[in-house]
Amino acid sequence: MVKIGLEDLYSDIILDYAKNSKYKKEISSASKSEGKNMSCGDEITLFVKVKDDVIEEISFLGHGCIISQASAAMMCEILEGKTLQEATQIFEEVINMSQGNDFNKELIDGVGIFSDISNFPMRTKCFTLAWHTFEEALKSYHNRSEKL
Amino acid sequence: MLSSKEYKELFPALKRKINGHDLIYLDNAATTLRSKEVMDAVCEYSLNHHANVHRSSHTLAAEATKMYEDARERVANFIDAENEEIIFTKGATESINLIAYSLATSKIIQPEEEILITTLEHHANFVPWQQIGKIFNIRVKYYQAKNGIFNFDDYLTYISHKTRVISITAVSNVTGQVIPIEELISKVRQIRKDIIIVVDGAQSVPHLPTNVKKMDADFLVFSGHKMLGPTGVGVLFGKKEYLNKINPFLFGGEMIDKVTTKDTSFNILPYKFEAGTPNVDGAVGLAKAIEILEDIGMQNIKEHDKILTDYAIEQLKLLNFLEIYGPKNESQCSIVSFNVKGIHPHDVSQLLNDLYGIAIRSGHHCAQPIMEELGVKSTCRISFYIYNEKEDIDKLILGLKKVWEWLK
Repeated sequence: MVKIGLEDLYSDIILDYAKNSKYKKEISSASKSEGKNMSCGDEITLFVKVKDDVIEEISFLGHGCIISQASAAMMCEILEGKTLQEATQIFEEVINMSQGNDFNKELIDGVGIFSDISNFPMRTKCFTLAWHTFEEALKSYHNRSEKL
Repeated sequence: MLSSKEYKELFPALKRKINGHDLIYLDNAATTLRSKEVMDAVCEYSLNHHANVHRSSHTLAAEATKMYEDARERVANFIDAENEEIIFTKGATESINLIAYSLATSKIIQPEEEILITTLEHHANFVPWQQIGKIFNIRVKYYQAKNGIFNFDDYLTYISHKTRVISITAVSNVTGQVIPIEELISKVRQIRKDIIIVVDGAQSVPHLPTNVKKMDADFLVFSGHKMLGPTGVGVLFGKKEYLNKINPFLFGGEMIDKVTTKDTSFNILPYKFEAGTPNVDGAVGLAKAIEILEDIGMQNIKEHDKILTDYAIEQLKLLNFLEIYGPKNESQCSIVSFNVKGIHPHDVSQLLNDLYGIAIRSGHHCAQPIMEELGVKSTCRISFYIYNEKEDIDKLILGLKKVWEWLK
């Protein structure tokens, strides 16, 4: 496997996702989930609208480094339109990837550019912030569904 | 200016290549690098003299005890204190926790009184007081350093008839602003004689000559690892008057005098505050570090750091894509904080590291209250020590220009 270098980590594609994402906005009447990286002060708010177990709309707001912002934007792009089951699978594969474990490449093609993020251990938490925030959103959704 | 190239030789890490570049270490406010001499001293103790101190009567125990107590004496002389006024702790954080907790449990601070801290503090001198205030129902008052800058006259207005303790840093770990501690203590004493004054010297003791008698603080804390010593060892200086009055923080072996099922009486100073087997390795390493600093001379270190800090500010000011925080003048010591406009500090530090081998700190520097005052979530921070030279700053400037070109 070709290891990514700094040029890949800060490639034009990633910079574009970080700076110009159409997913960086608030969605009214969506469920909100908040994530923080305590050690660096980065924060993200995720907005998720689910209908019939499908992620109908998803977006984010927050501040953080280019990696965290690009990762959030790519995550929204991949997850929009997916069923919750598909999204859960994607989440698990992304976390596998971030930890340097084997992962299903096809399933998470949309974040493939970060496939070697585990080479940058100090940046892994930046990359996974949005994903862990999504994990929280999933938990809240399931908790609410159980109560219903 | 110090012969920094010569000092670089003492620190093996500075011979390392980071992505093919010589390491330029500008993160000294977080921790300083390890010198071979310090590690040799720790090794010598660990391999040939290691034993528990103040307990057994064999040769190794006697040697270990002597080395530990010699280290205490070295620290005491370094800041002009008495040996029994020096307590070894895990670091500045533990030292402040000890003071805050012990003052409260000894009822030296009463619920109707106030503790005054500032928004300049790193969390080690902020959270312990805040939490002790909550637990013991004591009001904690916060001096707001507007724009992250300490203002002497403004600060004095926060002192009232209720103020019982003030705890304040001598140098901000974010902006490097030097607080005129001696003048401040003198003024506070004129207002009220019975206020207990705690000084956080984590960022000042490694860089500025320190004399507790002249300073007249009741307590002073600092860490070993920010002044060439090992991690896990720090110092609490306290005036005997208070150390004798306050309760121990930790209970257990060595800090006792007589133990019965009815009660326990405590050991004399400084052992009353050193429960359990102490970090002898750390103390020995710290003593060696102080020896190195004394050989160079603290006044020389102060001047060296000032030359570098002034030069850094002058050069950084020429970059119009930077925002620099703090006083940006002669009252700064060894630390400069800034942001590249529109670019997150993590990205800046990652690129500086990977492209030029430059190690800086990015983040909130465990000082979130001052971040709020500055109106930012995080900053880039550079900080200097004896092995840094102007060339390091020149390379940083090149690096920052490259970062700006890449990510703007």
